[in-house]
Amino acid sequence: MSAPIRRDGDAYVVELDPSMVAVIEGLCGEMETLLRDGSPLTERLFPPPYGDDDERNEGYAVLAGSELTENRLAALETVRGVLRTGRADEEEFQAWMRSLNDMRLVLGTMMGLTDEDPGVPRRPEHEQAHQVYEFLGAALEMTVMTIAGDMDEGGSRGGA
Amino acid sequence: MSTTSPSQVLEPDVDSEGSVDNPWVVIVWNDPINLMSYVSFVLRKLFGYSKAKADKLMMQVHTEGRAVVSSGTRSESERDVFRLHEHGLWATMQQD
Repeated sequence: MSAPIRRDGDAYVVELDPSMVAVIEGLCGEMETLLRDGSPLTERLFPPPYGDDDERNEGYAVLAGSELTENRLAALETVRGVLRTGRADEEEFQAWMRSLNDMRLVLGTMMGLTDEDPGVPRRPEHEQAHQVYEFLGAALEMTVMTIAGDMDEGGSRGGA
Repeated sequence: MSTTSPSQVLEPDVDSEGSVDNPWVVIVWNDPINLMSYVSFVLRKLFGYSKAKADKLMMQVHTEGRAVVSSGTRSESERDVFRLHEHGLWATMQQD
């Protein structure tokens, strides 16, 4: 039995259960809204690079912020395509990987997983989010293993 | 033989603000969300590190809370930070 996320020749295959496809499609829409609105839930995606230096942080945000946002929105569009076709080329697969990670970061932020303590108790109202978070983690792990496996084998592959 | 005092040695002014010789370092910070395998992969992909080096840096982030992953001029470091941010890693930069 083939892994749901795997390499197939020059391409990558993403074959998920239809219910999970629907969940990720839904998340794409939610992420898009949060990013366009500049929601605080997306703050973790845009860390200030200069510590307490507000002036430099602001300069970086002006220069890089919109590009980071646009790249993320484009990656979400790529994810929709991957879900539709079940296939991805190298670049699309990397966008898929980054988006899954972004979704985990936003869900984790929403559930309060922002401190060093991994033992944050699961709150009943977050049960569903937690399940999605764990599924995304498993899918991301599989994605990373697939690309990293190519790197291990090829040496010249995977430099992106 | 000259009896004058030694010639003045000119050294790069490494302390002055904005000197091009001032190295900046890029730091990746621990967070409870990013997968260890993902962090290691991103370091390999962005910086061309070996698996052993990327795993070591990732473990340093995990156990010590932070690790310096690259260094260079301010603009080089800012570019590295940008690429790390694109991948969702919590990266900052500072003058060494």
